[in-house]
Amino acid sequence: MKIAVLLSAGRHPVSGRPAPVPVELQAIRLAVEIGRQFGGDVTGLHAGPELGPLTDALGHGLARLVHLHNEGESDPAPSLAAALAEGAYDLILAGRAGQGGEDSGLLPYTLARTLGLPIIADAAALALGEAPGTLGVEQALARGARRRLLVRLPALVTVHPAAPAPLPFAFAAARRGSSEARPGRHAPAPSPTVEERPYRPRPKLIAKAAAGSTALERLRAATEAASGGGRLLVDPAPEEAAREILAHLRALGLVTAR
Amino acid sequence: MSRPRKDPRAARAAHRIAGGARPRFDLAAAPAPAGRPRRDPRAEERLALVPGTLRRRLDRAQRVAVASAMPPALPEAPEAAPRLRVIAEPAFLVAVVPDAPGGRLSAHDRQLFGAARMLADEGGGAVLAFVAQPGEDLGPAGADRVLALPVSGHDPEAKALALNAALAALDLRHVLFPESTDGGDLARRLAALSGEPFFAGAESLSPKAVTRAARGRRVEQRRVPPRLVNLAPDAVAPHAGTLHEALPVAFAFPQPSGGAVLSAEFIPADPAKVSLAEADFVVSAGNGVSDLDTFRALVAALNGTPGASRMLCDAGLMPRSAQVGASGTVLDARVYFALGIAGAPQHLQGVAKCEQVIAVNTDLHAAMIERAGLAIVADAQKVMPALLALLQQERQP
Ligand SMILES: Cc1cc2nc3c(=O)[nH]c(=O)nc-3n(C[C@H](O)[C@H](O)[C@H](O)COP(=O)(O)OP(=O)(O)OC[C@H]3O[C@@H](n4cnc5c(N)ncnc54)[C@H](O)[C@@H]3O)c2cc1C
Ligand SMILES: Nc1ncnc2c1ncn2[C@@H]1O[C@H](COP(=O)(O)O)[C@@H](O)[C@H]1O
Repeated sequence: MKIAVLLSAGRHPVSGRPAPVPVELQAIRLAVEIGRQFGGDVTGLHAGPELGPLTDALGHGLARLVHLHNEGESDPAPSLAAALAEGAYDLILAGRAGQGGEDSGLLPYTLARTLGLPIIADAAALALGEAPGTLGVEQALARGARRRLLVRLPALVTVHPAAPAPLPFAFAAARRGSSEARPGRHAPAPSPTVEERPYRPRPKLIAKAAAGSTALERLRAATEAASGGGRLLVDPAPEEAAREILAHLRALGLVTAR
Repeated sequence: MSRPRKDPRAARAAHRIAGGARPRFDLAAAPAPAGRPRRDPRAEERLALVPGTLRRRLDRAQRVAVASAMPPALPEAPEAAPRLRVIAEPAFLVAVVPDAPGGRLSAHDRQLFGAARMLADEGGGAVLAFVAQPGEDLGPAGADRVLALPVSGHDPEAKALALNAALAALDLRHVLFPESTDGGDLARRLAALSGEPFFAGAESLSPKAVTRAARGRRVEQRRVPPRLVNLAPDAVAPHAGTLHEALPVAFAFPQPSGGAVLSAEFIPADPAKVSLAEADFVVSAGNGVSDLDTFRALVAALNGTPGASRMLCDAGLMPRSAQVGASGTVLDARVYFALGIAGAPQHLQGVAKCEQVIAVNTDLHAAMIERAGLAIVADAQKVMPALLALLQQERQP
């Protein structure tokens, strides 16, 4: 089984210095564990002008790193698509979104489209399926729920931050790993259609009343969060209190009657 | 002050009734307005008065034209149902693809409809909702048209293909998706499939500009809204006020073919393992709880995620990862059940986003009791076993 992990050039969110993207290091861990269980080798792929701190990925368990050399600002998709098609990988892992670039998470989808592979988003865990050539993917949903999917390989899977933490950095592993540079395909980056300015956090919507609602509703929404304004029971018998709590939880749909 | 002097003769002449031989004056009639009308501060105040509150409250943000010098119009009887707004001939369509888990719109989906209404109302467009199962809440949410997607089970690729066909055939100016696991996935699939410009994770949206964070949240990108927009939660207020018709429309979707996903199975979150920040229902203990074994049994029986106040975590009775509050975890839970917690400001900060709070405390004046929707002034040590016994009794009929 051949596994590829796509590594992008990230930036540290606080210092802004070049750094590997955490979710891609998590992808390396998933790939290494699958590879260790079922026999397979894991290759890291990066397309860009230089590897920089991505060589750290070797210390996090990656054995081989392939650098598709591109000059300056160029679109990584054609280089990656060519390398992936040539390598005939069974499983391709990517991060959910980069950190330090466009960060739109669109690249894995365009790659899947050009390669004609199925794509599964937001994996938190991987396991090989019972039938040969299938992969079980546990997809992370909101609020800790999961969805277990079974897909046919080859496939492209993006990894969610809820996946297990990256393997710790080991200096010896970083020395042992090899990296290889290959020429990439130069494709001019599409001209930017966006205007960029320094980031300014925007206030999140907190008022629960919608626009166009009456003054009374807006006032309620603004003040009721601070005080529950609900029922108060003073010194009930414990049994009565328990019944009250349970009825309230039932009304909220939490404790199901069995 | 340079107020013009009052001229009593001119004021009297203004009341003169035309015609007739003798001069007649009607002093009761209001004279024809001359110049700037006088303000009536009392009338303005009456309009700003919020009805239905015990204390007198004024809401000056109401954007009603203040009638001056006129007696305030009596408030009309409130309409029983919101007004229905029909858009018969839309100039264009703004499509919304809500997640609608289980056929019901989530809060994020409603915000999406609010954004779509804003974009559509700008130029006389209509909002089209693409849903798997048409529900009843689409009209109030702001959908003018509803199109049912021909998908069964979990098959995002088939959904994307169907949407791509609709995108090519219909006059869709924008398509909005929620930035969630399923919505984000579908939006990117459609973007890759159609090659349309795509804007991921928009943090603010108006007809003129959308913005998002990029380069590790150091740069804000902004442009006019492209065709495909993926909207982050809590960026736009949901729609309210008018009701829309949610008219079902027909569209010939291409026949779906088998996808690559062989099987899909939903696994609900295991509350014992899910992290506190993600939990939906948190049961939390404070210094008022001394019997922690009963507490743990109760948490397991209620199927909640355990939490604690800092006092218990400092004492080593609960793990630090269970601490709720400013220096612990800020919850995103829907329901918070606090046992023996006083409700210090540092603790309440962690509970600020919870919709429902239930508190058990011996102190009537505890801040937690004030915050709670159901507040019980009782000994937590006695309520916990009673609740456990009640749950056990119901489980074995
Ligand atoms: C910088 C800073 C950061 C902090 N961050 C946090 C934080 O992140 N999270 C946090 O929780 N705290 C935090 N604290 C601590 C916080 O100020 C309070 O000290 C703490 O929350 C109090 O915890 P408590 O309500 O469990 O205890 P107490 O204040 O001791 O309150 C116990 C409550 O239990 C009630 N009670 C007693 N016996 C019973 C009984 N038998 N049945 C029912 N009720 C009973 C009492 O009436 C009382 O209201 C922080 C403090 C500082 C200075
Ligand atoms: N230049 C690149 N080389 C290799 N992989 C990349 C590159 N850019 C992005 N990726 C992969 O695509 C994912 C999503 O990136 P993005 O679309 O930029 O948010 C990343 O997490 C990487 O796994």
